[in-house]
Amino acid sequence: MTSLIARLAAGSDARVFAIAGAGSRAAVQDLRLADGVELVDSPRAADVLLVAGALDPRHHDAVRRVHDALPHPRASVRWAGSRDVLVPGAAHVALGTDPSSAIRAAHQALMHGTMPTEPPLLPDEDPAPWRGVGPYGQGGSGMTGGTPYGRPMAELAPDRDGLRLDLLPTRLGPFSSLLPHGLELDLRVSGDILVGVEVAATGLAASATSASLFIRALTEPVSIAELEIGRARDHLRWTADALRLQGLRALSLRALRLGLHAAPGDHRAVERLAADIARTGIYRWSLPAADGARTELLAGARLGPSTRASGVGEDERQADPAYRSLGFAPLLGAGGGAAAAWRLRLAEAVRSLELAGRGGDTRSAVTGAVESPRGRLALGDAPSGRALGLLPTLIEGMEWGDAMATIAALDIDLDELGAVTAGTSAEAAA
Amino acid sequence: MSVALDAALGVAAVGGMLAVGSLALAFADEAAAAAVAGAPLRPRRLLVAPFRRAASALLTATTTTERPDGGGRALAPALLAGLAALAMSMLPLAPGVVPADPSTGFVVFSAAVAFVMIAVFLHGWSPNSTLPLHGAYRFGAVALSFQIPFLLAMLATALPAQSLSLVRIVEAQAPLWNVIREPLGLPIYLIVGLAVGLWGPLNLPDADDLAGGTSAEDSGLARWLWEAARTSMLVAVAALGSAAFLGGYLGPLLPGPVWVALKTALLLAVMAVARHALARARIERFVEVAWVLLVPLALLNVFVSGAFLL
Amino acid sequence: MSDLPVSLAFAAFSAVAVVAGIRVFRTDSMVRAAFYLLASFAAVGAIMVLLGAEFLGMVLILMMAGEMLVMAIVMVMYMMNPAGLNPMVMVHQHRTAIAAGAVAFLALAGVGLAGGVPQRPVTNPGAATGDLGRELLGNSMLVFQTAGVTLLGTMVGAIAIAAPRGRFGDADADSQEPALQPDEEPEA
Repeated sequence: MTSLIARLAAGSDARVFAIAGAGSRAAVQDLRLADGVELVDSPRAADVLLVAGALDPRHHDAVRRVHDALPHPRASVRWAGSRDVLVPGAAHVALGTDPSSAIRAAHQALMHGTMPTEPPLLPDEDPAPWRGVGPYGQGGSGMTGGTPYGRPMAELAPDRDGLRLDLLPTRLGPFSSLLPHGLELDLRVSGDILVGVEVAATGLAASATSASLFIRALTEPVSIAELEIGRARDHLRWTADALRLQGLRALSLRALRLGLHAAPGDHRAVERLAADIARTGIYRWSLPAADGARTELLAGARLGPSTRASGVGEDERQADPAYRSLGFAPLLGAGGGAAAAWRLRLAEAVRSLELAGRGGDTRSAVTGAVESPRGRLALGDAPSGRALGLLPTLIEGMEWGDAMATIAALDIDLDELGAVTAGTSAEAAA
Repeated sequence: MSVALDAALGVAAVGGMLAVGSLALAFADEAAAAAVAGAPLRPRRLLVAPFRRAASALLTATTTTERPDGGGRALAPALLAGLAALAMSMLPLAPGVVPADPSTGFVVFSAAVAFVMIAVFLHGWSPNSTLPLHGAYRFGAVALSFQIPFLLAMLATALPAQSLSLVRIVEAQAPLWNVIREPLGLPIYLIVGLAVGLWGPLNLPDADDLAGGTSAEDSGLARWLWEAARTSMLVAVAALGSAAFLGGYLGPLLPGPVWVALKTALLLAVMAVARHALARARIERFVEVAWVLLVPLALLNVFVSGAFLL
Repeated sequence: MSDLPVSLAFAAFSAVAVVAGIRVFRTDSMVRAAFYLLASFAAVGAIMVLLGAEFLGMVLILMMAGEMLVMAIVMVMYMMNPAGLNPMVMVHQHRTAIAAGAVAFLALAGVGLAGGVPQRPVTNPGAATGDLGRELLGNSMLVFQTAGVTLLGTMVGAIAIAAPRGRFGDADADSQEPALQPDEEPEA
């Protein structure tokens, strides 16, 4: 009986919680298509922890906390360029090779009991002493005061009704499935409305070496076909993540599969995908409605599709003679808002594939700035940096789900941000 | 002695129906997902997948959180599964064949649906963690909004039967099924059913934008039990929906239980497709639609149903 | 049905009702208190079902689920610490509360003991229910029904007022509420 259960369990999909360190975001996303591996949103649901890419020492404790949140029996796989001791005992897989067989092997060994579970990396203790403190032993003064269990108590805030509504302070990140990994937000929540938002920390490893296509185009001419295929794939990958957040997992897999290999001939398939997405009602009842002040903020921030969705024709490609020779004109949305940005991203993916088909051998000109899928990219100035600056203003006052959809729509890429700003600081140092 | 035997048989039958229904739902769900994703369906793998998941859950430890409400965490899945079983036990399978027929079956079913919100809130509140708590709050808003349209939609099925007994409600559909007599009833019931089963477009408490919501802190067997309880609830909702609106065991040629199974499977298939073909609703939008649109429509439905009696 | 199972069930539900009722005051969290109260009421509802008042018992259980949930959420949201799990004391004004409880118990017990229970088995429960309904409501059924629908309309109206589409524009857009005092600048 026991062996039958172990055999059955070993045959189940290995459930993986992935920490996507610097330079590994796309590779981790591709694992969604791997056979026998299922990426989960919470470490509590996982059997195996995958720690991918380079991670700053300041994130090491967070990695350990995530590790200790996995239920026993657990195992870890370190997927990085070089071996390190971040998670002792983790199997090592070189970045660039497929880790799914190592993950499946670890999962099967765990289920058969041939591999011991990993012990916790951090001591299990209260973050702050509280027991027995206060009149009711609740760790503070007054009926509900103090910081029991090291967690700040709800704060009292004035409310217009004269009632005082409590605010729940909470930290999201750095490895939350809801945010790009590396981003930490301090949120104050009243009911399900975010009333206070601060970016607590951002950035992955400082030594981000990933030179993406668009960063390369900053310093050297790159074939337009290559750039535009890259843009279409990037938009499709974004769509896959955003669809998942909206609960449409099957469509998300379809978008990801398209995004993996999208080529100029695929523009019809992308059009069909866009039509199927529209049919889910996502633009009608899922995404937050456009709102004047926020649309204005985005309109002036040169954030690519988010800016063009409000009808502002801001696009660095217009300044490039190579693009002009192809008759390029930016696609524009109307009214702004998340739904318009969604539609525009999909329409741009189609347009990019068409452009790539016509591009031939034309190469882009080096003008000091390129239009990355996220907006205007220059040395020292990444669209994600500007998006992070706007983020608190954009989501403050929003309902939780709307805020998460809005963050997703900004498409924050900390790798791109790190690479561009690391470049300038290195130059400044030289 | 025979009373105890009957009770044991009834419990086994209800459990068996829920299990078979859950497997059917898992199959329909995978089939719908494969169709939408454009991926091949692998039926053999699919059939063993639920058993593999259960086995792996058995071998995985259940974790605890910081200062949880242990009793609440243990109770929530059991309560939800119990409510599903309670509802399922009132399903008429053939003329005179029903595990339990309380004279107030309609009210018992409604009370079971009302208690789902207690189970889900308890499940989200007890881990003492932010994301599950948010899921619990969300379900509070969702459940209080669907309660009245649900009661009204069900009430309209009790009118032609002039009884609150589910057996009588099925019998009264012999001349005309309720889905035709009161066409607004089934759509309203199905919308509410999606919310009761935390499923697809109305899975707000366990949503992906809360990283799993009320179940974000669950692992191992506790996680599996919650998933199984949710699926069971959905199966019970589909089964009773087929009895209340599609005439239950009524139908030509085939024996009653087969008709019940077919009609339940049909509703489960609709729900499986809805999960992959419809986006999750914003909570504000759903609450507004429930109060401003579903309540008046459900009232209208009651009036239409009542007009048949005049 | 024989009497023994019913008596056993009655004893069990009574015990649940009493113990859960005591736990309401002995627990240290508002949410737990609300759920204990719900358990107590549900047990009372079950006792009513045992006594033959099936409909009333089930409706009691049905209504309490929603009410206790609202109570728990409102308490957590307006008065409480994160998730309502941090310990706090649930009783205040001990002396007054004890006195009021004792008086209420004695009064109810007195009514129960002195009032006596009628011993007239009903031959046709359906007709008896109908008679009782006519006795209670008489010709005012329409009035009661109208009142019910009016109440429902009021609830829908309240929700409509609370919906995002407000007098000052959409609440989730950049609308601005007026100042609390007449001469004040509106708060941003």
